[in-house]
Amino acid sequence: MHFLTNIRVGWYLALRQVRRASVWTNTLIVFVMLLTFLNLVVVTGVLVGLVQGITNLYREQETGDVLISTLANQTDISHSPDIISFVKSLPQVTDLSARYVVGGTIEANYQTPPAPGETPNESAASIVGVDPATENAFSHISAFVGEGQYLSAGDYDAVLVGPQLIDRYSFGGDLLPNISALHNVYPGTKVRITVGTTTRVMTVKGILVTTANSPLASKVIMPENELRTLLGRNDYAVNQIAVNVAPGTDTTAFANLLRASGIGADAKVQTAQEAIPAGVAEVEGTFASIGNAIGSIGLVVAAVTIFIVIFINAITRRKFIGILKGIGISGEAIELAYVFQSLMYALVGSAIGLAIVYGFLVPYFGAHPIKLPISDAVIVAPVSGTALRVLLLVVTTAIAGYVPARLIVRKNTLDSILGRN
Amino acid sequence: MAIDVKNLVKSFHDGDRVTRVLKGITLSIDDGSFVAIIGRSGAGKSTFMYQMSLLDEPSEGDVIVEGRSTNEMTNAEETKFRLEKFGYVFQDYALVPELTAVENVALPLLMQGLPRERALADARAALTRVNLEAHLAQLPSQLSGGEQQRVSIARAIAHLPKVLFADEPTANLDRESSDGVMHIFGELHDAGQTIIMVTHELEYAHAAERIIRLDDGVVVSDERVPATERKRYPHPGLQAA
Repeated sequence: MHFLTNIRVGWYLALRQVRRASVWTNTLIVFVMLLTFLNLVVVTGVLVGLVQGITNLYREQETGDVLISTLANQTDISHSPDIISFVKSLPQVTDLSARYVVGGTIEANYQTPPAPGETPNESAASIVGVDPATENAFSHISAFVGEGQYLSAGDYDAVLVGPQLIDRYSFGGDLLPNISALHNVYPGTKVRITVGTTTRVMTVKGILVTTANSPLASKVIMPENELRTLLGRNDYAVNQIAVNVAPGTDTTAFANLLRASGIGADAKVQTAQEAIPAGVAEVEGTFASIGNAIGSIGLVVAAVTIFIVIFINAITRRKFIGILKGIGISGEAIELAYVFQSLMYALVGSAIGLAIVYGFLVPYFGAHPIKLPISDAVIVAPVSGTALRVLLLVVTTAIAGYVPARLIVRKNTLDSILGRN
Repeated sequence: MAIDVKNLVKSFHDGDRVTRVLKGITLSIDDGSFVAIIGRSGAGKSTFMYQMSLLDEPSEGDVIVEGRSTNEMTNAEETKFRLEKFGYVFQDYALVPELTAVENVALPLLMQGLPRERALADARAALTRVNLEAHLAQLPSQLSGGEQQRVSIARAIAHLPKVLFADEPTANLDRESSDGVMHIFGELHDAGQTIIMVTHELEYAHAAERIIRLDDGVVVSDERVPATERKRYPHPGLQAA
């Protein structure tokens, strides 16, 4: 009962002290709280969003929602035509792209032998054969053609080349093993493609312009019939079947359905999350940790700010605190008044921050990702993580409000009233 | 409520130096009495009141209130005692600046656990008693000194305390406002309120029925004021305050 009375009186004092405090003081404190909240949520969100951008690229440009790929001990997916027909027949499936994928090399200026000591103008690449129209419908790849044109079904000897393979677009490409960006390659340039022991001269029809971490970045893409010819393959056994499903479909359940249907015996079935390279998840974790570290600094700054504000407020009102104690208001009620004030500032700051994050930043940057060299970053702010950060801010602020109030309230009542030290 | 003071000593320490401000005071305050404590500056009158009103703890001796030695009370008990049994009027009004007049008066009532509406009703009644019913919603900064002091009195009497302590209640007020405050004290005393007032103004001390004069920490005189010699302050002065 006494505790409830303390809460009631603490709230009574806090509410009125905040309501009748200077508008500028309130605005400044709430602004600090808002910045702290944004620092906690947005910095981490952008850092994680950088990786999320890569994840999104993989899902949009390669894996789809579910990726069916070659088993580790196989060279291709057995019974590919049957699998493709079956998957297409499933009601959840909205579109699908089957691809031939092999390792190879691409060489430019092959007619001019390299000078002594000079490395050949050659790079390792992933050679991919696709149905141009189907692939474009699936991954909108034509949107990434920065130079030249996209492929057509009837193209002969035509390839698209990823930006990491071209020196003027490559981002640190020369530092990667087996990849040395090609010089003097433009649409119309002849390049030599080698797969295994087969070599063929083809023409660059277009150059893709993507971020360095795009799955398209190091690929050479050609019409599937061209690659089949290059490989001498006529069995229509593909290496990847990327599948998109209708929004709202549980992709894990869908992948399980495919595995249970027997596809699992001929191919690896993975959700997008499973198919994305493991390194991406590790980078995501690393960036989240960096974001949390930066956020915790912001939290300390907010705590110190609130501490100073409450301490100055309490010390300048020391006489009133003494008088309140003198007339019988309990120390706990006075301390709670300061805690409640701090909580109000933190909650208002967080509420404005939530409105900004979920009302503007997340949807805006979802629609207009931040263009960065390594990916198109979005802001990732899962509700659970944000709620945890609000809780952190509120708890930190409450402590920062309580401590200075406690320091002042515990002083001798009469000394406070008379202003004695 | 009777207050018995026994051999009260209050000393202040400043390093090795000890200053005895009260040097063994013994006296009793009767229930329902109006006592003025007077003396020159530094005589120890405010310090004496702080000991009696449980705002401070004596170095030696005892203050017995309602038969209980205050030496035996815990801090929490003292706080509860001050809240429920005592009322305080300070020289500089001591109102919470962010609370309106009625909110200031209601605060101790809320602390006593009264429901909000009841507390506000009692606060309004107390403010009406000091003729401030037209200023309920005003902040202290919007009130004159005299009006603030009347709010302070209303806060001190709203919970019907056993003893009302007033420390130099007229020191910061003009003549008219001071008269108004003394008029209220007179009315309260007439209604049976025990009042202990510290003042350095002899004229206002004569509103009390007993005058205790301190000098250098000891009681040098303790006189009853005959009813015929007691000064009464009229209502009109209050209204003008």
